[in-house]
Amino acid sequence: MIKEHELDKLIICKKCHTLHEKVLIAENEKAFCSECNVLLYHNDSDMLDKMLALVITASISLFVAFQFTVVSINIQGMEKSLTLTSLFMVLAEHKQYIVGIMFLFLIVIFPIVIIFATFLLLFFMKIEKAGYLTKRLLILLAHLKPWSMIDIFFISLLVAMVKLFDIANIELGVAFLAFVLTLMLDILITKSLSFHQLWEIHHQIYGSIDEE
Amino acid sequence: MKNEHYIRCHICETVNYDNSLTSECRRCHSKISSSLHDSYTKTLALLITAIILYIPANLYPILTTKQFGVNSESTIIEGIIHLWELGSYPIAIIILIASVVVPILKFLLIIYLLVAAKYKTRSTLLDKHKIFYITESIGPWSMVDVFVVIILSVLINFTGVRIYPGIGATAFALMVFFTMLSALSFDTRLIINHEKGKNFHASK
Ligand SMILES: [Zn+2]
Ligand SMILES: [Zn+2]
Repeated sequence: MIKEHELDKLIICKKCHTLHEKVLIAENEKAFCSECNVLLYHNDSDMLDKMLALVITASISLFVAFQFTVVSINIQGMEKSLTLTSLFMVLAEHKQYIVGIMFLFLIVIFPIVIIFATFLLLFFMKIEKAGYLTKRLLILLAHLKPWSMIDIFFISLLVAMVKLFDIANIELGVAFLAFVLTLMLDILITKSLSFHQLWEIHHQIYGSIDEE
Repeated sequence: MKNEHYIRCHICETVNYDNSLTSECRRCHSKISSSLHDSYTKTLALLITAIILYIPANLYPILTTKQFGVNSESTIIEGIIHLWELGSYPIAIIILIASVVVPILKFLLIIYLLVAAKYKTRSTLLDKHKIFYITESIGPWSMVDVFVVIILSVLINFTGVRIYPGIGATAFALMVFFTMLSALSFDTRLIINHEKGKNFHASK
């Protein structure tokens, strides 16, 4: 068989699938695909610390976003507010079970699991323990990535608010600001959390860990 | 560099040899050599399910407004037309893109990729990979209208007036789910260069 570590010198672009040979880059430099300009990898030695700080903040703001009132409206003295609990109660009341379950997973469970798994992953990689668990977490995160729709929920929230603008007084709740913060952190995390680099660090710390 | 004998693991991004000996990724052990024929059939079956669901999603009301005992229902298209008539152009356009343009575009792109896996097309390998990348990334945006309806049904829930999701919302949410599954089942090795005479029927 051909030597496997030769393969580690190669990288395939996620967008256009062009094969590239990796070049050494200096600290804080980034390597982009020559065909489509997508970021291939970057060299950021304190990525773990930075990401850990961001993920902890994001988990607090996600908790606040789920716990408190997102928006309240007032139509001629009648008030209604949007919280996570009121949302599921209304869906159950109208027997919207399929939509309710999808909402529960796409907006609540997957985002929470993603943020918690990312935290555990970074934490254990930081203290260089639990090699097998961290590997499973890296795989889990790759599977879950397409299934978190919290950003789309926020856009939908804005659309709903614009629709209600003419007929109601809208008041933003604490959770609304928490949503904004969570999304900003999420963008920062997805932009700078490189799974390519995480796998490389994983290999450096734990070597190759096999199943079982 | 030519990328003919290598394959990118879609889970851990590592580069593997693409040959009959490789059955799983060398780093994360995810399955990578599932049969291309299975991937093709699965993608097609899920896509057909999604397209079928798109019909009730448009024919049945996505939301019902009950105002002092009188029910009025509206489908996605009716909702968009209504918003346009009210002059809420930006919202009408957002809903139109999310609920009509994105799903149909995604159907067409997957169909195109499936056709291109079997027959020669004019686009290059690079284009096809980019098309697949776009297909994967636009998927979730179709959920906007369903989420808007859910949010409205929480906020407009008074004794006199209430809004609630209709059957169309369920059909629509399932349609998005199946379209995403369809794109995820598509094996990027189905994107091949026909000039080289490499056809997926040959490899098993
Ligand atoms: Zn590229
Ligand atoms: Zn892998």
